[in-house]
Parts: sequence; structure tokens; C-alpha cells
Amino acid sequence: MKLHQLVIKDVVRRKRRIFYSALGVVVGTMTVVAILTMAAAGEARIYNQVDKYGANLTVVPAISNVDMKIGDLSLGILAVGENYISDDKLMKVRQITESKIRESTCASAKAEDTALSPKLYINTTVRGVSVTVVGIEPVEESRIKTWWKVHQGEYLTNANQAVVGAIAANSLKLNVGDAITLNKTDVVIAGILDETGSNDDYQIFVPITTLQKEFGKDSLISSVDIRVPCSACPVQYIVDDINQGITGVRAVSVKQIAESETGIMKRMERFMLALAGITLAVGSFGVASTMMSSVHQRIKDIGIMRAVGASRGQIITAFIYEAFIVGVLGGIIGYLAGTLLAYAIGPIIFAGATVTFLPQYLPLSFLLAITVSTIAAVYPAYSATKIKVADSFRSL
Amino acid sequence: MLKVNNVSKSFGSGSAKVTALDDISLRVNQGEFIAIMGPSGCGKTTLLNIIGGLEQPSSGEVILDGQRIDNMDENALVSIRRDRIAYVFQSYHLIPSLTALENVLLPMTFRGANNERARAMGLLEKIGLKERAGHKPGELSGGEQQRVAIARAIISRPSLLLADEPTGNMDQKTGREILALFNRLNKEGQTIIMVTHSLEIAEGASGVIVLQDGQIKSKKNVSCTKN
Repeated sequence: MKLHQLVIKDVVRRKRRIFYSALGVVVGTMTVVAILTMAAAGEARIYNQVDKYGANLTVVPAISNVDMKIGDLSLGILAVGENYISDDKLMKVRQITESKIRESTCASAKAEDTALSPKLYINTTVRGVSVTVVGIEPVEESRIKTWWKVHQGEYLTNANQAVVGAIAANSLKLNVGDAITLNKTDVVIAGILDETGSNDDYQIFVPITTLQKEFGKDSLISSVDIRVPCSACPVQYIVDDINQGITGVRAVSVKQIAESETGIMKRMERFMLALAGITLAVGSFGVASTMMSSVHQRIKDIGIMRAVGASRGQIITAFIYEAFIVGVLGGIIGYLAGTLLAYAIGPIIFAGATVTFLPQYLPLSFLLAITVSTIAAVYPAYSATKIKVADSFRSL
Repeated sequence: MLKVNNVSKSFGSGSAKVTALDDISLRVNQGEFIAIMGPSGCGKTTLLNIIGGLEQPSSGEVILDGQRIDNMDENALVSIRRDRIAYVFQSYHLIPSLTALENVLLPMTFRGANNERARAMGLLEKIGLKERAGHKPGELSGGEQQRVAIARAIISRPSLLLADEPTGNMDQKTGREILALFNRLNKEGQTIIMVTHSLEIAEGASGVIVLQDGQIKSKKNVSCTKN
């Protein structure tokens, strides 16, 4: 019989107490695993949305918000600036983008492959329901939204057609071949898109020129989405050059938006992990106190072991083994409970996020639980070695 | 083999000072069976604990096989307990989570000797508990538990076996069986020092010391001189 076998037998006999001891570390590891799993889900959701967006950068009219104040009283926000970008600026945007890509070292990239899709957003009513109609360049848009699939009918082929997002089609009860009236002109529904999980599902798409003519927005666009032809293309340089070279517009890189959003999340995550760290520390006190009481309960056993030749080191080792078992148990339970917790509350915190089971946090969970329980065992183990054999029998 | 020279032990200090042992000297030779008797509180157990290195004397010295053990450090005492001195207690002190066999093997566990299973089984057979090897202390009678404790004490082949009222918790019949076991071990050459209340045991012993108020009141066949 070896020392660890002795410890295992003892642990099996005192399984309930060992379980309570493990609960001390479970709470902490559970919190850490839950936070990390949820954060991973939240981040995946942001990058997933970025991917869905398709474009690498977006150019919008430069609008600044002026806070109208009398002393400390706010009268509201006044938007200053143009709501549209004119066609000539679109030309400049294209020039800057293509020249930057040509300058770049990305060998496979052809500047002509850049997808540059201007859009015009108009809010109007269709069949009595308020809806956003989007004017697009059909070919350019389909090069950005590569995942678009026409579910019924066909894609836009001429000026007086429309394709409808899946949810809009459903709620407006639109079918292929139906005519809808935009302002004064009728357009025919050419196709209905597959559901994409994005805003597109709620919108109606028509060729941009049709929309510009119908609503008196000749040569005006609301935004430009740009998809660069390679992943190494200098998106940030393009953004900087557009912002410096063209007045009245503002370019943003989608990655930048995602990064600033994930940056906020990372900061939140760090804060939460700090709290989880405190939970772990508190848990370790719980473990230490259950172990301390188990030392008191086992004064006699420890005395017997000392009397038959156990050294102080062996007594400490026995407690470390016990702490290890508590840690392994706490690590497994903590990991499972943390993952379950993430499944339960992850979707509430990040709407639409898909929490996935992340096995890479299992070793981390073990590491945390074992470290915490071992640290917690140090003092009880030390005090167990202070037990005098003669006293341990006298007290009984 | 064992010399106890001028050992005194007191607890507390000042007016609360209690003297448990007062200038005790005695010698025990190889193969002897010494009984220590006396009324409760006379210092019997304290003397046994000092001989076994479980307590330290206030003054005096204990010499085992020519080596002073009363002032040894912790590590040296560990090796004394592993190889030279073994204890049998009044209330058995078996580990409840271990079987009889595992309890017998316990001293070997701490010595790192893992191949003593056959020897432990042999000892259980010798004390008549081979069939009970897989039972836990809670499933054994008092006499059986004490026999297991004796097997645990002798598995490390100690030069000195100390027993503190080993039959104190037993009825007469069981007590006699345990005593017979001690006598058998003694005949095989085991040196034994036993604290007891029983006159019957004392009569069977090779020597007897009677303590009273921490001093030797009378003795039979025991040398109580120094050196």
C-alpha cells in the first residue's frame, strides 16, 4: 500500500466532506469558465456579424452632432452636415481605393476586382407598412453579399424590379410577380432572398438609379460599401486617405469597428475575471476551513500515523494529495457548471450569440482548481504536523 | 538494551507545577518482559511515553541500544519509530478506513516498503485473524482489533515493544488471549514493556516496577541502578 492509496481510501470514506471542500473551488472555476466561454461567444458573434456585412470599409456622409445647451440643460442633439454623398465624391473614393491597392504589395490583388457598392436608403411605406427601401448597384452589391441566394424568382435584371428580404416578404405578404408602388412608380418583385440573419431580411432592394429618380435624389447616395480583393489589402490606408482627401465624408473600417467593440468586451472581461479571481480566493478560504476542520477531526488518525513512523513530510504530502483530489473534482465540476452557466445566460447577455462548448478551458479549469486547493491546504497541512503524538491520544 | 537514567517530568510551572515522574532510573535487558504497575495518575503512561520518544523528560536521559533518544530531533525520532520502537495502545488506534491487513501494513507504507503483503498475511495468520484480513476495524471485536494492533506493531520487527494497558478495555477472557499473545512474542525474544493494572499480567512478567506519585515504590527482578 502506498501513501496515495492510503489517501484515496480516506477520501472515499469521507466523500461527502471532500465534496463540500471541492464546492469551494467549484464556484470560482465555474465563474472563470463561464466568463471566458461567454466572452468567446460574444466575440465570435461580433466577427460573425462583420463577416456577414461583407464589406471591409464603409464610407458615409460626415455628420457631426452638436449638443445644444443652455448652461447645463440640453435642448437636444443637432445633426450638422450633409445626409448624402454626391456622385463625384464616389468617383474620388474609387480612385483612392484602387490606387492604394495598386500601390500595395499584395501580388494577387487586382484593383479592378474591388467591389464598390453605393447605396441609397429611403424610408417609405409599402402596402401601408413603413419599410426601408435600399437602392443598390445590382452587380456590385452581389459581389459584396456573396452569400445572397435568391430563394424564389430571380435577381435584379432591369430597372423596374425589386428583390425582397425574407422577413419583409413574409410580413408584407409579397410574392414573386407582385407589383409594389414606390412613390408613384410600380416595380415588380423579381425575387425573394433567403434569410441571412442580418438587416437585409427586413429590406426591399431596387436598382439605385430607379430610387434616385423616383425620390428626387439624383446623383445622391447614402453610403458606399467597399470590399477589397485580398485580405492583405491596406484597408486602414484607404480609410485614412479617404478621410483626409475628401471633405464631407467619413470612412470607417469594419474591422476597426469590430476591434473597438471587442476592445470594450475585453475590458469588461478583465473586470469580470478580476471578480472571478476574488471568488476563487474566497473559495480557497472555504477549502482551507473544511480542511482545517478535517485536521481537527483526524487528530487521532494523524497521531496514529506519526506513532507508526510517518514523517512530517509524509503527513504534508498526504494533505497535498487530498488537495489535489479536491482540485481535480472541483476542476471538473467547475468546468461543467461554468459551461452550463454560459449556455444559460450567454444568450441573455449577447443577444443572438451562440455559446459553444470550449474544451480548451478544461485544462485551465483544472489548473485553477488544483492551484487554489493546494494553496488552501498549506496551512491545514502545516498545522497537522504540529500535532504531538502523545497529545493526540490524550485528547481522546 | 534500555537505560533510563534519573528521568524526571513535570508539567506546568510555579505553584501549578505537577511532578509526574521524580528521578526514575531503570534498566531493561534484551528479551525481558517488564510490567509497570501503580495507581491511576502515578506516571505510568508518562514513563512509557518518554521511553518511546513520544514525550521528552524535563531532566534525565533515555538510552536505547547505546543511543540517547530523549533529546533526538524529529527526523531521528521518525526513524526510531520506524525501526526500533513500536506501540500498542489501550484503545487499539486502528485507522477506520483501512482493512485489518492494510492497518498491519501501515508502518510499511511510511517506510516505503510495498512488498510486505505476504508477511502481513503471515502475521494475521499467526494471531488467528487470517480470515478477517479484509474486515475494517468497525467489523472486528475489541480483542480482534487489539490483535491487529499487535500485528501492526511487530511488522517492523522493533527491538522494543511498548504496550499501554493493552487489555484495559477487555473482558477477562479476551484479556487472557491478548496476554497469551504477548507472552508468545516474549518467548520468541521480543522485549516488552507494558503498563498494566492487572496482577495476573504482572505475575507472568519477568520483572515488575510499581510506581507511586512519580517514584518507584517497589520492584521485582528489575535493576534500578544507573548505568
